[in-house]
Amino acid sequence: MSKNSLDNIDAKLSEMLTNSTRVFDISMNALLGDTNLDSVRDDLYDTDKAINELHREVRREMIIHSAVNSRSLDIPLLLSYMTMSKDIERIGDYCKNLFEIAETGNTFAKGDDLDSYIELRNDIGKLIVYLQSCIALDDESKVQDLITLGSSISTDIDKRITALLENKEKIQYPVATTLFFRYLKRIVSHIVNAATALIMPTDQIDYLDE
Amino acid sequence: MNLKVVKNLSFALFFLYFFLVSIKLLEKGIKTLGAEYTDQLFESVSNPFAGLLVGILCTVLVQSSSVTTSTIVGLVGSGVLSLEYAIPMVMGANIGTTVTNTLVSFGHVRREQEFKRAFAASTMHDFFNVIVVIILFPLDLITGFITKMAEDGTEFILATGFTATKPDSPIKNAIKWGSNNILDGLNAVPFIGNLNENSYRVYAVILIVIAIGCIFLSLRNVVKNMKSLMLNQIEMGLDRALAKGGGLLAILIGILITFSVQSSSITTSILVPIVGSGILSIENAFPITLGANIGTTITAVLASFAVDNSAGLTIALHHVFFNAIGVAIIYPIQFIRNIPVNLAKSLAVVTAKRRYVAILYVLVTFLLLPLLGVVLFN
Repeated sequence: MSKNSLDNIDAKLSEMLTNSTRVFDISMNALLGDTNLDSVRDDLYDTDKAINELHREVRREMIIHSAVNSRSLDIPLLLSYMTMSKDIERIGDYCKNLFEIAETGNTFAKGDDLDSYIELRNDIGKLIVYLQSCIALDDESKVQDLITLGSSISTDIDKRITALLENKEKIQYPVATTLFFRYLKRIVSHIVNAATALIMPTDQIDYLDE
Repeated sequence: MNLKVVKNLSFALFFLYFFLVSIKLLEKGIKTLGAEYTDQLFESVSNPFAGLLVGILCTVLVQSSSVTTSTIVGLVGSGVLSLEYAIPMVMGANIGTTVTNTLVSFGHVRREQEFKRAFAASTMHDFFNVIVVIILFPLDLITGFITKMAEDGTEFILATGFTATKPDSPIKNAIKWGSNNILDGLNAVPFIGNLNENSYRVYAVILIVIAIGCIFLSLRNVVKNMKSLMLNQIEMGLDRALAKGGGLLAILIGILITFSVQSSSITTSILVPIVGSGILSIENAFPITLGANIGTTITAVLASFAVDNSAGLTIALHHVFFNAIGVAIIYPIQFIRNIPVNLAKSLAVVTAKRRYVAILYVLVTFLLLPLLGVVLFN
């Protein structure tokens, strides 16, 4: 029995996440480490292009699947694939935004908060890998764990952004730091949204807090 | 192999056998009717143009060229329809079958650009078939070169001693066994049994109606089960065609998909939403459509295994050669290849702006013109 086209879509989503991990690592290392930006720029942009191409392939695969299986179509499943692929594709975009913060000369490599930033990087990195295993395993309890974990990281980032807006913290690059947290929050939100698409009713996808 | 695969495969094989038995039943029904009656019946198609239009109408009516061509093979095999009359009817079936995917394109009518692409994807098949008929129909009528090729092909196959063509082959014996049992079953029904003894013509008509119904039913189920069985392969094939972007591989994919599901309408109708969505260009979908045109001819070849007369095989081979030669004329040179595609695109521009033109096109091309033609030619 040949591989099902829906398995192909799962495989492409997983590949998108592998690439997302790569662009996330590159951009975070650019901000938190002493990476030579010129040496990783092409890799970052090429990997993001690969994510975009995979996104288009997922869409094409869905159209072909719909055309061939027009009489026995699982429409909610296809809608969830549509929204998941979009969310995953956005991770790459926000990683590029993070990299652009580094490109404008900002770095968090020498700040007092480096350890907490590295911890945050590790947590979000794990979240991407966790989403990948959720897609592969189709285990609802794992997805619930991911949503809980993601929501808690998101709340933590929110608190940091609020503190920055209220000028409670004295930091070297206030604008860059605010944007840094803002982009990280968007990445976490897209991971959580993609996870909600795995288990929630179609109309509830993306609206976890309502 | 999982249970679903076994179920689909078993049903597909059963209905394929039932299809061949139905062709045999049709042959018996026609023979029972008697030569003087059948001669009168087919007088209306003695004009080749009328035959062509009858082929279009019948196919539009049953929405399947396979049903039409298989029935024609049965009629030719029973000896009541000559090759000369059957050939234009098969050509007509080629044109008539394109109505199905044209109707599928109406599903995209809400969005102008999408409908334009979908309608062009469906009508390029119409234009291709019409152009091929315009070229080959008079040419074959005058020179008889495709008929000669089909006759030579029949002789060659018979000379090879291919099992299915032998009168006492296991396939033919199994088909006869099936049809004899159905006939015995029908004769056991008092009403039909009485007709068989007292009014053989009514009995023959009932037999013919049952046979055509069975051909329709069995082919429908073969297609349904084979499609279910081949879904993943079809998707993979289309993925490859998409990646490759047309060419000979796309023709081969069209042939294989249609061969495996026994229906060109399935292949061409799948292409319509794919082109409509814009992920496959009309130009790249065209060779898949041409492949479908060749792949669909296998049904008539299968049907010819059920009939005794070798003319059944000849008309089936004529169908194969006609469609293959059509592709060989149109596809290799880009300028010629673009003609049906551009005609379809031009028509689609008009229909996308004025949707009622699309409805008029279907009604006029597939119903009014053929009906008018049949009346005029008779």
